[in-house]
Amino acid sequence: MPIETVNLSFSYSKGTPFEQEVLHDIDFQIKDGEFVGLIGPTRSGKTTFAQHLNALYIPQSGRVIVDGLDTADKHTDLVYLRHRVGYVFQNPDYQLFAPTVGEDIAFGPLNQKLDRNEVENRVRVAMDQVGLDYDTFHDRDIYALSGGQKRRAAIAGVLACKPKALILDDITTGLDPRGRDDILRIINILHREQNITIIFISSSMDEAAVLAERIVIINQGKIIMDDKPRRILEKIDELRYLGLELPEVSMIMEKLRRVGYKLPSDIICVEEAIGAIAAALREGGGQ
Amino acid sequence: MELTKNITLGVYLPGDTFIHRLDPRTKILGTAVLVIMLLFLKTYTAYGLFTLFTVALIGLAAIPLRYALSGLKPMLPMLIIMWFFQLFLFRAADTEVIFQWWIFKATEAGLHMGNLITLRVLFLFIITTLLTLTTSIVKLTDGLESLLSPLRAIGFPAHELVMTLIIALRFVLILAEELEKIIKAQTARGVAFDRGNFIQKTSKLFPVFLPLFINAFKRAEELIIAMEARSYTGGRGRTKMKTLHLSRVDLAAAAALFAFTTMMIYVILNAEPLF
Repeated sequence: MPIETVNLSFSYSKGTPFEQEVLHDIDFQIKDGEFVGLIGPTRSGKTTFAQHLNALYIPQSGRVIVDGLDTADKHTDLVYLRHRVGYVFQNPDYQLFAPTVGEDIAFGPLNQKLDRNEVENRVRVAMDQVGLDYDTFHDRDIYALSGGQKRRAAIAGVLACKPKALILDDITTGLDPRGRDDILRIINILHREQNITIIFISSSMDEAAVLAERIVIINQGKIIMDDKPRRILEKIDELRYLGLELPEVSMIMEKLRRVGYKLPSDIICVEEAIGAIAAALREGGGQ
Repeated sequence: MELTKNITLGVYLPGDTFIHRLDPRTKILGTAVLVIMLLFLKTYTAYGLFTLFTVALIGLAAIPLRYALSGLKPMLPMLIIMWFFQLFLFRAADTEVIFQWWIFKATEAGLHMGNLITLRVLFLFIITTLLTLTTSIVKLTDGLESLLSPLRAIGFPAHELVMTLIIALRFVLILAEELEKIIKAQTARGVAFDRGNFIQKTSKLFPVFLPLFINAFKRAEELIIAMEARSYTGGRGRTKMKTLHLSRVDLAAAAALFAFTTMMIYVILNAEPLF
């Protein structure tokens, strides 16, 4: 299910003294099954941009086309479209409302007017996908969940709508390292096994560099880089200038290069770094 | 979808105009004078003069007229209903009947009454919005507290009352922002808020207001802790970083307002009643 934007522009509070341009003439395509990291500093417009992709915002100018459907077209069924492109918000408290986990996850499928059995089936599958045990958590009080569990319940609530594409808006902030890793593993499995298109929004390059096949850097409402993670990380000074959090691996490699070790500039994960450093030491670089 | 776009009440529009520079106490008292004046306006001439004065104020404060009026948009349905109520229900002796159908009778007195009351509510809103648009929340607090402080002698909790008011005002915008996010989160799961009959539409509000209330309570609790962590114990013994000073601008504003009020009193006293 391809998603495309053409000349997309948007301003907040249009027609008031607080008017502010957020998106400027964005052309963007995403192919079926791609894993894209949408990275930008805070207030860069990344969330507003992503919310155009599932018709939470309708373009003020330009077009958004999802699976051949124009979101601004009066005949487009937006409810159907939003089920195809799921959106998980940063704060699960904005989404969770039902007394129990099971009921909350069932909310999306019930809006699709599915029968009771199918809804329950969807809830079971979605809970399984995010690693929440059905028997343990189905009847648990929403407010008795931990931060990480809440976030998983929120993801399950969106997965139960059976989306073909999933937009994840900064969903790892505020989690402890283990909770973060759990969520990232779940996302990775969803992408590989279900072939779900993933748009992963973050202000940090760390997670996206390893997971995503393609990184799009957005700043001041414009796409300024769009490439493979390795190619993007080669421009480490530009990324730092934008105020983006860089992967620790890249920072260590850069420091080593600066003191004279001959290391490649396109390393993104720990294993590669170990190999490269070992090779450099054998060659005997450094001061 | 942007909910905060149409909220002008409680928003501060920074600027450096004559109106912005006034002491908050001058502005609060001035607003009070204008609001009381509104209650006595009973002719179109008086409202015409009042309109001129208001437009001049908006111009002096350099607030775009369209923006100042945009906050009225959500109030329009209520204003229209009110106008119709007055038109059909207001009764006065020997007035002309304009229109009659079944038990509904629109009279000329009702028409005038409807117009005047609608104008009154409109101006009440504009005048108070003008105060908050040109006065930052800190100044508004200081001004109100300073005006109410003489009442402390009789045990009136001036500081606490003002603090409560200001927090409530701040929460209007915060809650609107949260509401927007919650509506989006539920819309993303396929709620169509604009579809269905009245009962269906009402039941759709449940997944929106529940998280809103819970988050509001959570926020209030966090605010209490944040205040207590900084040893907030109310107004007793509290000093101000910036103290308020009346200056020449305030004198000029007071003089202008006094002249306008005198003129309006003259107009009000010499007005021919409409009915």
